[in-house]
Amino acid sequence: MARMKFLCDAERCIECNGCVTACKNEHEVPWGVNRRRVVTLNDGLPGEKSISVACMHCSDAPCMAVCPVDCFYKTSEGVVLHDKDLCIGCGYCFYACPFGAPQFPQDGAFGMRGKMDKCTFCAGGPEKDHSADEFKKYGRNRLAEGKLPACAEMCSTKALLGGDSDVIADIYRNRVLKRGKGSEVWGWGTAYGKPEKGATPPAGAKS
Amino acid sequence: MMTKPGITVSRWIDAVLEKNELIDQDSNLKAVVYWGHAPNSQNRGKEMVEAMKKLEMLVVIDPYPSATAAMAAMARKDGVYLLPAATQLECAGSATASNRSIQWREKVIEPMFESRTDHMIMYQLAQKFGFAKELTAKIKVVKGKGGMDEPDMEDTLREINRGVWTIGYTGQSPERLQAHMRNMHVFDVKTLRAKGGKDAKTGYVLDGDYFGLPWPCYGNSALKHPGSPNLYDTSKHMMDGGGNFRANFGVEKDGVNLLAEDGSHSKGADLTTGYPELDHVLLKKLGWWDELTEDEKKLAEGKNWKTDLSGGQIRVFMKNHGCHPFGNAKARAVVWNFPDAVPLHREPLYSPRADLIDKYPTHADQKNRWRLPVLFKTVQDANKDAGKQFPLIMTSGRLVEYEGGGDETRSNPWLAELQQEMFVEINPKDANDRGVRNNEYVWVSTPAPSKPRIKVKTLVTERVAPGTVFLPFHFAGWWEGEDMKKYYPDGSAPVVRGEAVNTATTYGYDIVTMMQETKTTICQVAKA
Repeated sequence: MARMKFLCDAERCIECNGCVTACKNEHEVPWGVNRRRVVTLNDGLPGEKSISVACMHCSDAPCMAVCPVDCFYKTSEGVVLHDKDLCIGCGYCFYACPFGAPQFPQDGAFGMRGKMDKCTFCAGGPEKDHSADEFKKYGRNRLAEGKLPACAEMCSTKALLGGDSDVIADIYRNRVLKRGKGSEVWGWGTAYGKPEKGATPPAGAKS
Repeated sequence: MMTKPGITVSRWIDAVLEKNELIDQDSNLKAVVYWGHAPNSQNRGKEMVEAMKKLEMLVVIDPYPSATAAMAAMARKDGVYLLPAATQLECAGSATASNRSIQWREKVIEPMFESRTDHMIMYQLAQKFGFAKELTAKIKVVKGKGGMDEPDMEDTLREINRGVWTIGYTGQSPERLQAHMRNMHVFDVKTLRAKGGKDAKTGYVLDGDYFGLPWPCYGNSALKHPGSPNLYDTSKHMMDGGGNFRANFGVEKDGVNLLAEDGSHSKGADLTTGYPELDHVLLKKLGWWDELTEDEKKLAEGKNWKTDLSGGQIRVFMKNHGCHPFGNAKARAVVWNFPDAVPLHREPLYSPRADLIDKYPTHADQKNRWRLPVLFKTVQDANKDAGKQFPLIMTSGRLVEYEGGGDETRSNPWLAELQQEMFVEINPKDANDRGVRNNEYVWVSTPAPSKPRIKVKTLVTERVAPGTVFLPFHFAGWWEGEDMKKYYPDGSAPVVRGEAVNTATTYGYDIVTMMQETKTTICQVAKA
């Protein structure tokens, strides 16, 4: 079974926010909730780099570990999903996540955050595939349609790759060999730890 | 008056406001139609409002009420008409991209609300003026929205194909473009060229075409020129999209040969030296005239490649002999018909460096360029010391999230969320010297005679050097600190509104193109 992962190539990301817009449009995500965002480091300075960040669907996901109501589950393809009917909006997952992925529709004291929302790798939720309920709570289920995440598909420079970890690691390795630089894959060490059986990390993968 | 070059878009406000005796036409401008155009991409916004007040009529044709409508509503109570136009999703037709390739677009939905397609509005305008029959002499008129007549879009492209020989907008028939859209998969993503392939619907053979037949796509569609993905590419045969520099400036200048030297030509050309542009005389001299068919000869006699409506001259020259119909010449770097034959540095009209003005003065004032006087030296001299009060260079430009004047993109919540406020990029040094911090409101003021000032947020960043500030030009909907929401029709104001930088930009026009000077002026920034 394929293991789904995201990989963002900081050598290629041009901070166009196409991924963010694709995500918003695909899932009709409300204003203020950002399942994906682009972070720029050293803005305006030589060596400026941008990366697109969302839920990385970690191998050993800290959100799953801390959730007091156990609303998270992992699909057979390694996608980390959650059940909004169980979520109590406590925010523990937000504090546990190293990527700032969990989002809340509102702000306020005494657990008034509302149900947590995050990137689903375009894989919907526990509801029946393609049902109105699923779309309302989690957005479109592209994986069930045989499609990859909208953000990566839309990426104009193909900096953001999303899909079978073996395939995207191969693409990345070829790129690194060809350009002879930029072998650091941001976030992979944190998200996926040591390589899983069968998967091969890109050359020089770190933190 | 109709035969004289017209007033440029950039100068319309002067055509309204200038003294009548100084303009080169009978009356001042009395009516303006804004058709899918943003007022906030032009300079001197504060003076533009004065021009709007003086007009007898202002028409806005746009999918959105736009900044024009709001500015006009702020300035006057009547004489402004909003004609809602359909978006690209509500009509079919050809669309040219900035890589010169053309795609055929299908209608996705019917025009919504009261909107009509651009071509329907154009046809109805022609009807009112009494030349609708001439407009559609060779274009089928079909039923559009509400049973009203409009020109057929395939015929409209065929009409363009019939006439635009010079830039090669002739080979892209609707049938060829539609076949491309149905068969995108046969085109190589790197070369853009089709490898094999046959359109199942029409039997059209796609092999060798470049996707979207990027213009120039010379000759009529039967010639099957593949389009030109790169211009002036001598490494390819003319019929493979190759080319060379154009013979457009004569054959010699001051005793120097302007045509290409021997051996410089597109691949496989029968003429291996420079040659002038093609006409019937050249074709006869070369002994190639009889390669035309009898029908082609009738239309080609006495004509050149741009006026031979048979396309025969182009066919023989290009297909049979691999030569370029526009001739084969050298590129021109000295443009002797421009005021500066080679670009010279001239200090901007508004400069923070008074000491450079004597060394690099601007042009002399011009009495009449495109029917209007243009000021250069007068403005520069009058503002020599403006840099003391306005010490920062002010430039403007684009953001990736928004497009043009931004009315459309700022109305789209997915995009609007990404840039929620108009801002000025300012270097930490300049910000600290003015006691302002990141994300605070400031007033940006310029030395324009109307004393404009705009209220924007700071973005303190190293993106700009000390002494320079940058402002994006996509915002509108605020006016010198005031939200203009009440001036938009109810419910139609863009999601994000902000000051238009061009409310504050100063006078200045390029002497050749009359392009407005929006990139180089000076300003002061102060805490609001």
